[in-house]
Amino acid sequence: MKVVIAGAGSVGRYMADQLHASGHEVTLVDQTPAVFDRFGSEGPVTWFLGDACEVATLDAVSVADADVLAAVTGDDEDNLVIALLAKQEFGVPRVVARVNNPKNEWMFNEMWGVDVAVSTPHLLTAVVEEAVNVGSFVRLLSLEGGDARLAEVTLTEKSPAIGSAIADLGLPRESTVVALIRDRHVVVPRGDTVLRPNDEVLVLVTGDAEDDVRRVLVG
Amino acid sequence: MGILRRRRATSDGPVPADRSIVTIADAPPRRNVRVCGQVTRMRARPTSGLPALAVSISDDSGTAIAVWTGRRAIGGVALGRRLVIEGVATRRGDQLEFMNPEYTLLVR
Repeated sequence: MKVVIAGAGSVGRYMADQLHASGHEVTLVDQTPAVFDRFGSEGPVTWFLGDACEVATLDAVSVADADVLAAVTGDDEDNLVIALLAKQEFGVPRVVARVNNPKNEWMFNEMWGVDVAVSTPHLLTAVVEEAVNVGSFVRLLSLEGGDARLAEVTLTEKSPAIGSAIADLGLPRESTVVALIRDRHVVVPRGDTVLRPNDEVLVLVTGDAEDDVRRVLVG
Repeated sequence: MGILRRRRATSDGPVPADRSIVTIADAPPRRNVRVCGQVTRMRARPTSGLPALAVSISDDSGTAIAVWTGRRAIGGVALGRRLVIEGVATRRGDQLEFMNPEYTLLVR
């Protein structure tokens, strides 16, 4: 896959190395000559010195042929402009953008050409919540601009779902149990899998089914 | 405003290779193309809670969709109107979709 990464800070450089190591064709774009001079000459990744907010730069690194563009600069405004240009002017199938300030996350959507927004503060919060919350419903990940969500519930003794098979839970049709973590092992859920206390249940929820899912699993 | 200025500043960047009109069936995705057709369907298609207008444009060969974000209507764009659309399209399913393309209204 051809991947263009805009922003060669520590995030961009790390991504470039990892993606290159897994066999992808990676181009890094950054407009800071100092970063370019310091890292650009080493390693197998292609570097380009230029402003990724300019169509001419994106054109020069053949974004028109890229499968993925990742806008991971430290500036949310730049990331949005890069994402919009990549989608609108080059039709990049998958545009990933980094959210630096969580207050800006609401803008990182389809309207700005963003297919996937990655917000470190939100991810960190979700992970911390997931670690400390037992018996409540924690959203881990939003997909498709919030239309689908991956959520986690650690079941307590009090949960109404204890002792029931997944097929008999009465989960709404807009949701499905995608995995169970039991005694540190991932269990692939089947309809006849019976839930026990301390099971971590991962549920994929679409639409407005969240309240129903919460009622079934948390009570 | 900064973004608008930037957008405008970049529009006299590289000149698209092909400025002639192609049929919708022949229009390649991910290349700057111009297509011409008649508006056959108009639909408000809010994305992420914000307004967007999806307009289906058909010529004899097929149908493409133009999506303009941030608006519910465009003056002069109505059912039956002939338009020239220029931009880079992506293939969504089996249909060509333009995001915020340039458009020219043609006399009926």
